[in-house]
Formats: sequence, C-alpha cells, structure tokens
Amino acid sequence: MPLFGKSHKSPADIVRTLKENLAILVKHDKKTDKASEEVSKCLVSMKEILYGSNDKEPHTETVAQLAQELYNSGLLITLVENLQLIDFEGKKDVCQIFNNILRRQIGTRSPTVEYFCSHQEVLFILLKGYETPQVALNCGIMLRECIRHEPLAKIVLQSDDFPNFFNYVEMSTFDIASDAFATFKDLLTRHKVLVAEHLEQNYDAVFADYEKLLNSENYVTKRQSLKLLGELLLDRHNFTVMTRYISKPENLKLMMNLLRDKSPNIQFEAFHVFKVFVANPNKTQPIVDILLKNQTKLIDFLNNFQKDRTDDEQFNDEKTYLIKQIRDLKKPAS
Amino acid sequence: MTEKMSCMTQNRLALNTVSCCLNTYSGLHFLSFLHGCPFTFCVCQRWVSEKLSVESLRDLELFGEQAQGLSHRNAHDDSQESLTSLPRRDTMGSYLPDSSSYELLAVIGRGLDELMTVNMARYRPSGEHVAIRRIDLEFCTNDMVNFLQGELHVSKLFHHPSILPYKSVFIAENELWVITPFMAYGSARDLICTHFSDGMNELTIAYILLGMLKALEYIHHMGYVHRSVKASHVLIAADGQVCMSGLRSIFSLIRHGQRARVVHDFPQYSVKVLPWLSPEVLQQNLQGYDSRSDIYSLGITACELANGHVPFKDMPATQMLLEKLNGTVPCLLDTTTIPPEELALKPSRSGADSGICEGPGAGGVRHSNGEPSSASSGHPYNRTFSPHFHAFVELCLQRDPEKRPSAATLAGHPFFKQIKRRPSEALPELLLPVSPITCSGNSQPQYSPSGVASLESGLSHLEVDDWDF
Repeated sequence: MPLFGKSHKSPADIVRTLKENLAILVKHDKKTDKASEEVSKCLVSMKEILYGSNDKEPHTETVAQLAQELYNSGLLITLVENLQLIDFEGKKDVCQIFNNILRRQIGTRSPTVEYFCSHQEVLFILLKGYETPQVALNCGIMLRECIRHEPLAKIVLQSDDFPNFFNYVEMSTFDIASDAFATFKDLLTRHKVLVAEHLEQNYDAVFADYEKLLNSENYVTKRQSLKLLGELLLDRHNFTVMTRYISKPENLKLMMNLLRDKSPNIQFEAFHVFKVFVANPNKTQPIVDILLKNQTKLIDFLNNFQKDRTDDEQFNDEKTYLIKQIRDLKKPAS
Repeated sequence: MTEKMSCMTQNRLALNTVSCCLNTYSGLHFLSFLHGCPFTFCVCQRWVSEKLSVESLRDLELFGEQAQGLSHRNAHDDSQESLTSLPRRDTMGSYLPDSSSYELLAVIGRGLDELMTVNMARYRPSGEHVAIRRIDLEFCTNDMVNFLQGELHVSKLFHHPSILPYKSVFIAENELWVITPFMAYGSARDLICTHFSDGMNELTIAYILLGMLKALEYIHHMGYVHRSVKASHVLIAADGQVCMSGLRSIFSLIRHGQRARVVHDFPQYSVKVLPWLSPEVLQQNLQGYDSRSDIYSLGITACELANGHVPFKDMPATQMLLEKLNGTVPCLLDTTTIPPEELALKPSRSGADSGICEGPGAGGVRHSNGEPSSASSGHPYNRTFSPHFHAFVELCLQRDPEKRPSAATLAGHPFFKQIKRRPSEALPELLLPVSPITCSGNSQPQYSPSGVASLESGLSHLEVDDWDF
C-alpha cells in the first residue's frame, strides 16, 4: 500500500530494478542499505501486482507479463538463491510471489511447474534451506507448495538429497524440525502412486533411514514418525510395501518394544502398526515364531493394554481381535 | 481424558464389529484390502472384500494445513499464560535449543487448560531471565500437537515490537519448551485479577489498546486474522512495552499463493474465547469474516479492561450469540452508562455489572454476567470515562463489520491523544501499586519433571517381562 500515489512501474521495470539491486547485495558493495531498501520496495510492488490490493483485483495481463519477465530474467531463481540477503519482510514477500507464480495455469498447463522441471536446481536450493535457520521456514513454505505438483515432488523424492530429510526432521530447533516433517509427510502421502512406486524400488534404503526416526531420542520425532508409518502401511497404495514390512521379524520386534514405550501415545501408535503383523493372514514363519514364543505374554499384555480407553470402541474391538488371533496361533506340528 | 482419546482414533481405520458378516474375519475392516488382492492371498474368498475404502476412513489431514473439525473439545484457556520480558531488539536472539542451558525458577503462570506451565528461568550462558512455556505433549492429542506446531510456525514469521517473539523452541523429554522474553507485569488479565477488579484507569487502557492496535495493524497487513484478541493475550514488560501474544488461533488469508477475501473457518479450541468473538465469526454464515472481527474483539477487550470483567462472560453461549446478533452492544460502565436507578442502589449487584447497555429496543434488567465489583469502593458508580473512550468502543463494536475502522485508522483516534509520554516512562507509574515481578526474589527452583513422573506411574500396571526374541 504505497502512501504517496501508485508506482506505475511496468513489470519489466520492476524486474530490472530488482535484479540490479539484488546484484549489489550479492556483491556486498558499500551501498547495500539503499539497494536493500530498493529490493524490498520492488518485492512489495510485485506482490501487489500478483495479489491485488484491498480494493483492486490483480490485472491478468500485467500478471502474465510479470511472470514472463520472471522466467526470462531468471529472477525467480535468483531470489530464492539469495534469500538470506533479503530483509525479514522481504523474505516473506518472496515466498508469496513464488507461490503465486507457481500456481499459475494456462489452460491445463502449469508454466511455472514446467519451468522448474527444466531448472531443477531451485528445488534443491529450497531443500538445502533447512540448513540455514534464517531462511529455513521460508524455504519450507515454498518447497511444500512445489511438491503439491507431482512432477516436482517426483524430482525431490527421487533425488540423492531426499535422505537429508531424515536429518532435518531431527534438528534441535523444533520449529524448523516440524516444518521439515510437514514437508516430509507431504512428500510421502500426497502423490500416492508415485510414492508407492518409489518406496517399492527403494525399500531397503528408505526403511533403514526410517528406522532411525522410530528410535529417535526426540519424543516428537518418534511419535510423529510412528504415526506416519502406520498411515503409510495401511494405505492401500502401499500394499506391496506393507507386505514386505510385515514379513520382517526385526520390524515386529521393534513394534513390540515400542508397545512398551514409556509414553502411552507412542504405545498407541505402535499398536496400530503391530495389529497389521498379527492380522496378516499370511504371516511368514519368523513372525509366527516370535508371536508364538511370546504368546502368553502378549495375551496378558494386550488384556491390560491401555485399559483406560474404554470409550474407544474401535480400539477395544481391535484389541480383542488381536488377542483372539494370537490365542489361536498353533504351534507348528512337529 | 476419554474424549481426547476417542478423538485420537478418529483417523484410524475402523474395525467393524457389525455381526452381519458371516465369517469370523470379516470384521477386520482395516485389512480388508489385504484380501481384495487375489494374486497374493488365496484365502481372499473367505474375506468379504467390502470395498471399505481405507481412504475414506482415513482422513489424512495434512499436517501443514489447518486441521479440521473437533472444534468443540478442549477449549484452552490461556488466561494466565502470562509473563515474559527483557529488552527486545535482537529478535533472532540466539538462545540455545537445549534444556540444560536454562535454570527453571518459579512457576509464574498456567494456561491452555492446565496443559501449559510458565516458568521464570535463568538463561545460564548470559544469566538473563526469560520465561519458558512448557507443554507436556503426552497430554496433547495428535491434533493438538499439530495445532501447536502451527502456532510456532506463524510466530516465527512475525517480527514486530508489539508481538511477543519466541526466542527458541525445542523438545525436552516429552515437553515442548518455548523460550520468550520475561514480561514482568504479566498479562493485562493478570493485572485485573490481582489489582484492578473494577477495571483500570483510562490512560492505562489507552496505552494497552494502542499497543494492541499496533500489533493488529501489522498482523492484518500481513494478511492474517488473529481471532483470539483478549486481555489475557496482552503482556506487559517491566519497561512498559505492550506485546500481543496468543497466536494459536491465527488464520492466514493467503494460502497456496492465493489471497482470500474472507475466512469461513471457525477457530479450533476456542470455547473460552467466545465472549470476545464478533457476531460474524460466531454466526458462521456464507459471508464469512475478516480482520474487522479482531476490531470487535478489541472493543470487547476495551470493556474488559475498563469494567474488570468481560461482557457476556457468564451467559450461556446461545444467549450470547443471540444478544450479539440482535445488536446488543456492551459498553464501558460509568456514571454515564449505568442507569440512574442502578446508581441509586449503589452497592447492589444487579444489571449494572453486566457491561451491556441497552441495545436498540432492549430494556429491563439483565442478569449479571460478571463478578460484582468488590474491591475498591463502588468504582463504576462514580467514575466517568471520556466521551472519546466511549466513542472508540462504540466504533469497534458496531454490528456491521464494514463500518468498523481498520486498526491503522483506529490508532489515530482522538482517544489516544491523551498519551503524552512513552509507555516506558508512563506505564510503570500508572500501574502502581503493582510492581513488576522481580527476578531476584523468589528464585527457588521449582522444577519437577511432572511429565516424566506421571508417565512412569502410569506404567506400573504394564510391567511385563522382556519379550523373547
């Protein structure tokens, strides 16, 4: 909201001015104060073109011009690359500009998505942003918006940088860690077919990393990753992955131990994974062996498990069902 | 507690117990899809493969986004979530995300339905005092945890001298720790409870409201609606700095690269905030609401600060809604608004305390809906607030949101002309005899790792030998 009249600069002018001043910031010249102010101003004007103002809707043609200028000049990516040089409010403006341009559609085409597909580096700059606290949340906001689009999600998911998420979600600064977890969760749940395929092909690597989250010292990491695991395994799309997961005795052992975690919430999440092992009609022999070895203990344990959840009919029915299943397990005819 | 639990399972797969199914397994819906796959399981025939959509049962609410529903549980009251302060400035201040860097001192407040404890603490590396909000996440549902994460996220995107900054946020055992500056006067609500039960004086209120307006101007300009404006969410530092807090219910109009003009979402966990919410928020109609609803809440807060209690407080929610929709407008209680017959009955405890003036056509005696003014002798009956103050409150509380001025406009209202000095010079003096909590006094450590202790006691009945692997 400009105080003294409107700035009638054209999109091309704004983009040029912004680019020049950003270059000054990058070079770290003496005049950075002035340039910084100029950058902020340009960002505000851009935002106004894209989002309109209180009394004005955005003008389609100007928006199209601006988008074109942003692609042609490469400024969209330069902004992301140099995000930490921009002031606090300017960083947020960049996010809003970025997200607005990203959602642009011409007919069924998403030009920005196409543009990013041929400029993939932008996705990895955003991902790397989690390592820099001053820009982490801004980058997270943009990255999450990117992965709503399947082609971009695919690039991130299948990249060598994807495993970095397993470190980001465990960072000690909780606001950044939880932002990273939100992105991680989106990546693994939003595009079902893509994810199922990826998990099948990279089962060993992904689940080796995932297991670290389940054993995390961080209460929230442990609780949320366990909950997400339950959701992933019980998603029909991930059927093959689930069968594989529930055939492995190590996984059953882990869940049985988590059933006895000191936190009732974690026990409860573990229950929802454990139940799949038991309910599986085609249990592998090692799984049957473990269940049989602990048959009496498991029945006792489940009988006393979270008894205060009396209102939760579904949970109690499932528990009864599991107890019955375990009781009915037969020793192999020897 | 049971309520919370059942909510936790809402997103779980249902295990249907209906006995209409003939075979013994069919009840296990959550696995029905296992058996819908003939290539894998030949037993599939025995399993009724109801197409029981796993998906439909699983409302995978995506954690980055606003969680839906469950709005009527678990109202949080942060009325005492007070206290926090020190010179602000270095907003990104580097406080280590590690509990061993903090020495917990006295408990100075509670909130969020007793889920949150606020401690004063000493930051070991520098010796300065901070406030720590500790929330035991073990007592929070998954939804609530997401909700809290949303708040932390937003707070990191705000940077304004009138908004309480979060200096560091981390997990310690099963607790969430939020480090904030130590605000030595606590919340405006605390001040009312402890010292100003009949309300504060007009100049003090002017300082507080102006601080709130500055925060709201920023919040609205950023495209957010606060949705939880009330006296308990205003904190005052030793130096008189006024800060807004309580960002838990904040809503962004800008999502996924688009700006919405109005909000339709009803704030979650907001039962305790109902008296402050505007008619259009409560009404939940298609027109939705926008930042002007915060202005209404500010008007209610002005009454709260002036009268010592919030209008509509003890009224059943439906009655309050009707009153608001019918245009009943709360007002400042003083000699100009309390009807003469009430004034005559000075020490009585009738309608005068309701804080509600006659709306158009409303008449007769209303039920008292606030604590009767107890302490300082008959205050409301012999004080007179300035016409500017009355006018300010009326502007805020207009039924039609369009008519309410913006935060920026209100900050220029003549009501604030009485402010001549900076808050740091004036407020501490105005708040006398209240003195800020000092850090030196009661510094016996009071940390009991309640979370962990309670967990362990809860475990006793679960003792089982180790599993045999």
